Amino acid sequence: MMYSLLFLGLTVAVYLLAKKLYVRSGKIYCSPLIITPLIMIGILLLSGTSYESYNAGGKWLSDLLQPATVAFAIPLHKNFKVLKKHAAEIAAGVLTGTVTAVLSSMLLAKWLHLSGDLATSLVPRSVTTPIAMSISQNIGGVPSITAVFVILTGILGTLMGPSVLRLFRIDNEIARGVSLGTAAHGTGTSKAFELSSLTGTISSIAMILTALFSIGLAPALLAVFLH
Amino acid sequence: MNNIAKGLLQIAGLTVFSMSVNALTPYLHIPIPGSIIGMILLFLLLESGIVRLSWVEAGASWLLAELLLFFIPSAIGVMKYTRLLEADGLQVLAVVVVGTFAVMACSGVLTGAIYRIKERRGL
Repeated sequence: MMYSLLFLGLTVAVYLLAKKLYVRSGKIYCSPLIITPLIMIGILLLSGTSYESYNAGGKWLSDLLQPATVAFAIPLHKNFKVLKKHAAEIAAGVLTGTVTAVLSSMLLAKWLHLSGDLATSLVPRSVTTPIAMSISQNIGGVPSITAVFVILTGILGTLMGPSVLRLFRIDNEIARGVSLGTAAHGTGTSKAFELSSLTGTISSIAMILTALFSIGLAPALLAVFLH
Repeated sequence: MNNIAKGLLQIAGLTVFSMSVNALTPYLHIPIPGSIIGMILLFLLLESGIVRLSWVEAGASWLLAELLLFFIPSAIGVMKYTRLLEADGLQVLAVVVVGTFAVMACSGVLTGAIYRIKERRGL
């Protein structure tokens, strides 16, 4: 118990330091989402601590994702007018993104000769974790491996996000929010909130729509394209 | 009441709210997690004026500002899968990077295009 509290405190401390470093340097590879896990994995490996005993304390942080998701209601309420005005392009963008996510995961995994289990587990990778895991279960993937792919997608998406937005000149808040939220769920949304409150709200809506569209579309697309 | 106490109290309130919705969700038999149902519920309560913005705003903005912190334990969880990533890591990385690039570009470009068309037509 003492041990897990110690690691919990250490995680928060390293996160706060990393956040300071990130704000000061502005370098994307200094993101707390990169530095904190790397340092903590190093500490756990050196001290011979298993992930299970780390997570006895760490899960308290993961549990806060629930009230944090509920908290999206506040920016949603504040920006509801803008959201209604742009409902059509948001829905169209997310739908296209969802289909792209499912097809690209499936076809790329096939071309790179990944095993069927891995390929299926990759399909829901741009969906927020709890829903991604249940989709994975439905289509015959391995939910816990899907969870790993979801967090990898989140980290890489947050890293790549700003460059992709620049490269394709995606410069309005609505399109940026859709892009980040559809491709990189909650972590993309936290990047979007760095850009502006409206971008973050659009991103959280995009994240939820991606999850809902994926529940319906992933099994169907999988059936059509794998047979 | 000072700001820190207010923020903490609101976070506690949001946590209790999300836990209660979570406990009730299984009875609804829909494949949507409780936290998203809780979000929709709180949104409706705010829109209808039953819950005032000032009751939840401070706690909510703290939770959203530290969103990344709550993903860190699952990011550390990747360490459990070193064997898998050693064997197929490069291919997995390629799928994730290329796929994410495609999703970002397609969804962002299309949204931006429709946005500009609507704007030009004065909608």
